[in-house]
Amino acid sequence: MNEVHQHEVPYLRGVPRPTSGPMFAALGLTLLFAGMVTTIAVSVVGVTVFLLGLIVWWRTCLPEESVHQLPAGCEIPLPLGAAASAVAVAGPRHVLPLEVHPYRAGVSGGLIGGVSMAAVACAWGLVEHSSIWLPINLLAGTVSPAVVGASEADLSRLEIAWLMLALMIHLFMSVFVGLLYAVCLPIMPRRPILFGGVITPVFITGIAWSTMGVVNPALEQFISWPWFGASQLAFGMVCGWWVSRSARIPAMASFGLGERMGVERSRGGDR
Amino acid sequence: MLLVTESFFFASFVMAYIYYIGRSASGPQPKDVLELGPVVGNTIALLASSITIIPAVRAVARGSRGAVLAWLGATIALGAYFVVGTGLEWQKLMEEHGLFLGTNLFGTTFYSLIGFHCFHVIVGLILLSGIWLFSGCGLLKPRDGERVELVSWYWHFVDGVWIVVFTTVYLVGR
Amino acid sequence: MTSPNQHQQSAAKPEPTRALADRLCDWVVTVDHKKLGIMYVAAGIIFFVVAGLEGAAMRAQLAKPGNDLIDPATFNQLFTMHGTTMVFLVGMPILLGMGNYLIPLMVGARDMAFPRLNAFGFWLFIFGAVLLYFSYIGATGLYGTAAAPDVGWFAYAPLTSRTFSRGNATEYWVLGIMVSGFGSITTAINLITTSLCMRCPGMTLMRMPLMVWMMLVVGVLVITALPVLTASQVMLLFDRQLGAHFFDTEAAGSAVLWQHLFWFFGHPEVYILVLPAFGFVSEIIPVFSRKVIFGYPLMVAATVAIGFISLGVWAHHMFAVGLGPELNAFFAASTFLISVPTGIKVFNWMGTMVGGRIRFDSPMLFCTGFVAMFVLGGLTGVMLAVVPFDWQLSDSYFVVAHFHYVLFGGVLLAIFGGIHFWFPKAFGKMLNERLGKATFWFLFIGFNLTFGPMHVMGILGMPRRVYTFPPDRGLDLWNLISSLGVLVQCAGVLCFVWNVILSLRKGKPAGDDPWDAWTLEWATTSPPPEWNFDRIPVATSRRPLWDQKHPEDPDWKYE
Repeated sequence: MNEVHQHEVPYLRGVPRPTSGPMFAALGLTLLFAGMVTTIAVSVVGVTVFLLGLIVWWRTCLPEESVHQLPAGCEIPLPLGAAASAVAVAGPRHVLPLEVHPYRAGVSGGLIGGVSMAAVACAWGLVEHSSIWLPINLLAGTVSPAVVGASEADLSRLEIAWLMLALMIHLFMSVFVGLLYAVCLPIMPRRPILFGGVITPVFITGIAWSTMGVVNPALEQFISWPWFGASQLAFGMVCGWWVSRSARIPAMASFGLGERMGVERSRGGDR
Repeated sequence: MLLVTESFFFASFVMAYIYYIGRSASGPQPKDVLELGPVVGNTIALLASSITIIPAVRAVARGSRGAVLAWLGATIALGAYFVVGTGLEWQKLMEEHGLFLGTNLFGTTFYSLIGFHCFHVIVGLILLSGIWLFSGCGLLKPRDGERVELVSWYWHFVDGVWIVVFTTVYLVGR
Repeated sequence: MTSPNQHQQSAAKPEPTRALADRLCDWVVTVDHKKLGIMYVAAGIIFFVVAGLEGAAMRAQLAKPGNDLIDPATFNQLFTMHGTTMVFLVGMPILLGMGNYLIPLMVGARDMAFPRLNAFGFWLFIFGAVLLYFSYIGATGLYGTAAAPDVGWFAYAPLTSRTFSRGNATEYWVLGIMVSGFGSITTAINLITTSLCMRCPGMTLMRMPLMVWMMLVVGVLVITALPVLTASQVMLLFDRQLGAHFFDTEAAGSAVLWQHLFWFFGHPEVYILVLPAFGFVSEIIPVFSRKVIFGYPLMVAATVAIGFISLGVWAHHMFAVGLGPELNAFFAASTFLISVPTGIKVFNWMGTMVGGRIRFDSPMLFCTGFVAMFVLGGLTGVMLAVVPFDWQLSDSYFVVAHFHYVLFGGVLLAIFGGIHFWFPKAFGKMLNERLGKATFWFLFIGFNLTFGPMHVMGILGMPRRVYTFPPDRGLDLWNLISSLGVLVQCAGVLCFVWNVILSLRKGKPAGDDPWDAWTLEWATTSPPPEWNFDRIPVATSRRPLWDQKHPEDPDWKYE
C-alpha cells in the first residue's frame, strides 16, 4: 500500500478474486482425518481433494495475486452529519468523575479506619472472651491452616507469627479498601457517609455471613455477628468520613495529554 | 505476512515443548539403544543446510538463477540426507532393538517427538523443492524474494527445533 | 439520512435476478471477510440451537427425581456434545466470526491480511463440526451401535483409553475438534496480522478500538493454547490407535498429564471466549452512554495482563487432583490475581456509564445484563479459587452454575448484544426493538431461573454429570425450577430467531450509522461494499468518526 499519497488516490478497489480452493483444501484435509475412523479410501480421496484444492488456491495467488477490479462507481460519502442521525445527542463530552479524592486520602483513611476497626474488634475480644488476641488470631486463620485446628485457649494467647500475619492482612486490606473508597465515593450519589459508612459495611457483613463457613471455619465458630458488623461499621464510618472530608482534586482523565504528561502545570496542586 | 509464519513457529514450538514435558514426566526406559554417531552426522547436515539456504535467498533477490539452483539444491540434498539418516536410525532401532511406538514410554515419546520434527522437515523439503522447480522453469522473479525468505525462516525454525530436540533426547536424555 | 441512503442503494445494488444456485456458489467461493464472518455467526447460531436442545433434553431428564426419559449412556453423550458444541462450535465461531467481520472495518482495511487463508479456516471449522456430528450416525459406540462421544468435554485420561471407551466415538471427538482447531488457529493468525499490519494511517496501537485490542490478545491466546490441545489430542490418538503409552498409567504414563495439557489449553480458552465479549461490551457501552470509554489505557493494560496471567492459572481446575499445597497455593494466588484486571474492566465500564446519558436500547440492555451476570460468575469463580472451598464443591452443580454464569450470562449475553448492535451494519436493516427487548428479558429471566438454583443444588451436594437423582434430598424443587427456566430461555431464543427473520424481510432501513457511534465501521455504508471503504480512512483519534462529526471539538485534543 502506498502510504505517501493516500489522500489523493482513490482507494484501490481491488478485492481478491473469489476462489473455491480453500474450501476444497479444507474438505480434503477433513476427509483425510475422517479416513482414520472409517476406511483408508476416504483418506485417499481426501488427499486428492486436498491437493486439488491447493492447486486451485495457488493458481489464484501464484505467480501473482489475482485481483478482481471493481468498477469505480460513484463515491460514497462518509456519513458526516451527526444531526442527520435520529438518536444523536449533541452535548459536551463527559469524563466523569470530574473530581476525585487524592489517593493519599484513601491510604490514610484506610489506615485510620483500620485502627478503629481493630479497636472495636479487640474490644469484642476483651468483653466476650477476655482476650484481645483472639480476634487477631482468628484473622490470621483466613490464610493459615494451623489456626483452624487450634483450641480456644490457644487462640486466646499471643502468638507472634499469627500476630504478624494478621497485621499484614489487616494493613493490606485496610489500605486497599481505603483506596477503593477514595476512588468510588465520588461516583456514588450524594451522601458519601451513608454509602461508605453504612451501606457498604452492611453489605460486606452480609456477604461474610453467608460465606464465612467455607472461607474461615475457625472464625465462624467464634464470631459474634453484631460485633463483626459493628467493627465493619466503625471502619466504614471513619474511613468514609476521612476520605470525604479531604479536598477533592480534578480527575486526571479530564486533563489534556500535555497536562497529564506534566508538560503544563497541573491545576490540582499536589497529587 | 511475516508474522504468520512466526506464529506458526511459535505454535509448533509449543507443541514440541509439550512433547518433551511428556517425556520427562514418564519413567525412563532403555536409553542405551541410542547411538550418537550417525545422529551427529544428521545434525551437522541439517545445520549446514540452514547455512546454505542463506546464499540461496540472496540469490533469489539478486535474480541469478544458477546460484539459486545450486544453493537450493545443496540445501535440499542436505535436508534429504537428514531424513534418510533418521529413517535408517529408526529401522535399526526397530529391527535390532525391537523398539516400537507401543513398546514402552520411551518408544512412545521418542517416535512421536522425532517423528513430528521429521514431518516438519519433510514439509520444508517439499516447499524447497517446489521453489527449486519454479526456479528451474524460470518462474522465480526477484520480487518473490520475500516469499522465499519466509520459507527459509521456516527452515531455520525447523533447524532450531532440532537443536532443542537433539539436546533433550540425545544429550540430556541419554 | 436520505442522501447517503440513496447513494448506498445505487452503489451496492445487487445483480437483480440470479439463480439461487449462483448465489449459493457466491457464498461458497467467497474470500470476503464480511461474508465469511456472517457465515461464521450463522453457523454458530445453528449449532447454538442444536446444543441448546441438547441442554434442554438434559434438563428435561432432570426435571424430576428418578426420571427415565433418557438413559444414562445417552445422557453422557448429551453432556459431552453439549459442552463440546457450545465451546468449540458456538462460542469460538461466533466470536471469531464477529472479529472477522468487524476488525478489518474497525482498523480501516480492505479485507483481512490473508483472505484465502481466512476462507480455509472457516471451511475447516465447518467440516470439523460436521465430522464431530457425523459421529451420531458414523461412529461405533459401546455395543457396536452408532454413538456420539461420551467422555465429557474435557475427556479425562483413563476414561478415554481403549479399555473404558470402546468403539471409535472418541476418535471422532478428537478429529472433529482437531480439524476445527486448525481452522481457529489460521483465523487467529489472520486476526493478529490484520490488526497489527493492516491498520489505516493514523490508527496507532493506542487508537485501536478496544474490541480490536481484545481480539488481538485472543488471537495470541489461540495460537499459544490451541496447539497444546492439538498436541495432547494427537497423543491421545497415538495411545488409542497405535498403542502408545502417553496417558497409560499401567505403563508408567501419566493420566494427570492429560489434565495439565488440557487445562493449559482449557483455561486460556475461557478467556478466548470472554475477551471478545469484553470487546463487544467495551464498544457498546460508551456509545449508549454517550461518553468516551473510561480509562482506555488501563483497559488495554488489563486486557494484556489477562492474556498473560490466563496462561498461568490452568491448574486451578485441578485442585482436587492432589497437586500438593505449594502448587495449589500458587495457582490459587494466580487465580486471585487474574480477578484484578477483570475487576478493573468492570469498574471502567461502570465508570463509563456513570453520568452518561444512557439509552437502554436492546444492545445496551444485553451489555448491562452481561456486566451483572459476569460479576456474579466472577465472584463464584473467586470463591472456587479458595482451595478448601474447591475441594468441597469441585464437580458439583455449583461449578456448573459458575461457568454457566460466566459463559452464558457473560459471553452469550454479550454476543447477543453485539449481534443487536452490529446487525444494522451487516444487513442494512434494524432489528425490531420490541422483540429485541423481549429476547433479552426472556433470556435473562430464564437464564437466572435455570442456573441460579444450580448454586444451591451444588452446595446441597448434587454432583455434575449424573443422569438422575434420588427424591427427598431437598433437590426436587430446585431441579424443577431449573428445568422450567429452560422453557423461558427457549422463548427468548425463538424471539431472537423470529426477530432476525422478520427484520431481514422487512426491517426498518438502518442507514449508515444508526447508533451515532464513533468507530470506523460506521464510516461506510451498511452493508459495507465489498471493498469496505472508498477512501482509506484516516484515524485522528480513538473516535475517528466523532472527529468527523464534530470538527469543532475533536477528540485528539484530549488524548
